[in-house]
Amino acid sequence: MKFSVTKEKLLECLQQVQNVVSTRTTLPILSNVLLQANGKEVRLTTTDLDVGVRGSFEADVEKEGATTLPARRLFTIIRELPSSEIQFDIDGKNAASIRSGQSFFKILGLPEEEFPPLPKFDDSKVVTIRQKDIRDGLRKTSYAISTDETRYVLNGVLFSFKDNKLTLVATDGRRLAMLDIDLEFPRSHEADIIVPTKAVTELQRLLTDEGDVRVSVGSGQIAFDLNNTLLVSKLIEGNYPNYKQVIPGEMKERVTLERETFLNSLRRVSLLASDKSNSIKLNFTKNNIDITANTPEVGEAKESLSVAYKGREFSIAFNPEFLMAPLRNLTEDEIFLDLIDEMSPGVIKIQSPFLYVLMPMRISS
Amino acid sequence: MDCFYAAIEVRDRPELRGKPVGVGGARDRRGVLTTCNYEARKFGVRSAMPTFMALQRCPKLIVLPTRFDVYRRESAVIRGILHRFTPLVEPLSLDEAYLDVTAHPGAPGALAEVIRNLIFQKTKLTASAGIGPNKLVAKIASDLKKPNGQFEVKPNEVPEFMAALPVRKIWGIGAVTEQKLVQLGIKTCSELQRYSRLELQKQFGRFGLELYDLCRGIDERPVEPQRERKSLSTEETFAINLETLAACEEKLEELFAELMADLAQKENTRVVTKIFVKLKFADFTRTTVERAGLAPSLGEYRSLLAEAFARTGKSVRLLGLGLRFADVDPPDAAQLALL
Repeated sequence: MKFSVTKEKLLECLQQVQNVVSTRTTLPILSNVLLQANGKEVRLTTTDLDVGVRGSFEADVEKEGATTLPARRLFTIIRELPSSEIQFDIDGKNAASIRSGQSFFKILGLPEEEFPPLPKFDDSKVVTIRQKDIRDGLRKTSYAISTDETRYVLNGVLFSFKDNKLTLVATDGRRLAMLDIDLEFPRSHEADIIVPTKAVTELQRLLTDEGDVRVSVGSGQIAFDLNNTLLVSKLIEGNYPNYKQVIPGEMKERVTLERETFLNSLRRVSLLASDKSNSIKLNFTKNNIDITANTPEVGEAKESLSVAYKGREFSIAFNPEFLMAPLRNLTEDEIFLDLIDEMSPGVIKIQSPFLYVLMPMRISS
Repeated sequence: MDCFYAAIEVRDRPELRGKPVGVGGARDRRGVLTTCNYEARKFGVRSAMPTFMALQRCPKLIVLPTRFDVYRRESAVIRGILHRFTPLVEPLSLDEAYLDVTAHPGAPGALAEVIRNLIFQKTKLTASAGIGPNKLVAKIASDLKKPNGQFEVKPNEVPEFMAALPVRKIWGIGAVTEQKLVQLGIKTCSELQRYSRLELQKQFGRFGLELYDLCRGIDERPVEPQRERKSLSTEETFAINLETLAACEEKLEELFAELMADLAQKENTRVVTKIFVKLKFADFTRTTVERAGLAPSLGEYRSLLAEAFARTGKSVRLLGLGLRFADVDPPDAAQLALL
């Protein structure tokens, strides 16, 4: 196998695929990237057996073939090469000679046969979504994914295909983010699947605001085809909890807030939320919210926001991180905060179909 | 504490006094003893021994079920006593703890005697103590005058004390390392002391560097009061490598029983979040299969073992299994739950 390529093209492709390679793996082959030179392109593939990514770049292929090379090492070498032109020459024993300018490297690979093939998606259901939509949807929900491994069904984003809508849901049991994307697909394609965190993270790195992504759902696995990059992942097995039941059907009070103003106030006040209780309080009075935090033996912070509020006076406490997370990831200028009372979930909404449900914290008197 | 669980059972049932008593799982359930008293030890019965084997060695052994609520209560009483003398108490299990009494004005030997007397007054249970300039020496010394005794090694006595010590007494040296040392002609710490850091590192890897210090009685580990156990595991390196999954499964059952006994003795209130199986193969490569959300049951361990074994199919040199615990205190107890 022999080809030459520009440093920029190779580096860009390596950057897309190398994140999947796990640093601590029991199978040496999983540290490697599969290189396949065919026609006018070279394909790169990596996998950790749960998630796999495949990308490709144009190259001058002199001799077709395939091999695997240690991914991280290859990346660090390519990044440092002095010239833009790189020549690869791989011998029959998977030793790669890499030439660029005055530099020469020889690195030893493993045979391509050892590389686990990415799963096939023969009889899968295919839905096409605008990249921009799913990118936006994941950004507005994925921060709520649970990292608690004992609740493994929550370690991902629920993709619910139903009634010509794709609903994305993420929750860690204390807060929940949900967003709808309008989409047309046949009834037979309705499904609830859970895409694991690692795949969500990788997908977010790969998505752009241009073009479509073809989503194929097979049994226990999913593929996202973004024109010249493919991401496949195992799905999380299990039933996602009935998230609809925690969305409050009623609300007592609604305040409209400027997202950035509210976020900045929270950020400042939370500087004095104690590590231990980690809560900030919102005190609602007529046309005003006082945001307060205090840490015993350290100090306290308070900031007032003028709002249109005519409801009863009351206080509610939240984990400041949980309250700020959606505000950071939304892009809208204005948000609505719906509340019932100090012990019931608060809901953040925007004009489009999105909501964020957040359970308050107990206020210690 | 001297055979803590068994001692409590004998205290609470005076008719058992003088008879061989073990505490642990019943024979017909493939149980394992967690403790036995000195009467039972005379017959060669040991803790962590399968109950059926213990009964073979001592047919008159009285095997009682564990009563952890009682043991925990006694343990709390004892810890209360320890904390009167120093805040630096590092519990190793319900019945064992390191105390840093550097700051206490009393002489440490006399102090140990006071503490042991107080424990006996309050609980009618006997304790043994080891007094030394560090954890390593104190721990070794605590075994020397059991039961109901104590042994002190003063700082200037450490070199002499260590020199005569069999290497097996050092923590981290198990049957395999011991065997390796015997092959090198090393039985005591003084013989081990003849080896340079470099030589030990070549023989034993990173542990070799620790060994260099340990065999000289050097141990810098502080007494850590809040050390919280994050995981618990057990493993065995086999004299003859295991070639088949069936052979591994057989060993798995033994190790599982051991792990459960260990769990019951050391951490019986903690929430288990993950379980894992570890294999080391004949060529010294290793693999671990770890899974969250599974209960530590024999069936689940079997499926993990099958997965790990299938990864290479090489013959197995070491089999280990273990579990990881959830953090003891979730930080945000005030956070209300949504789901």
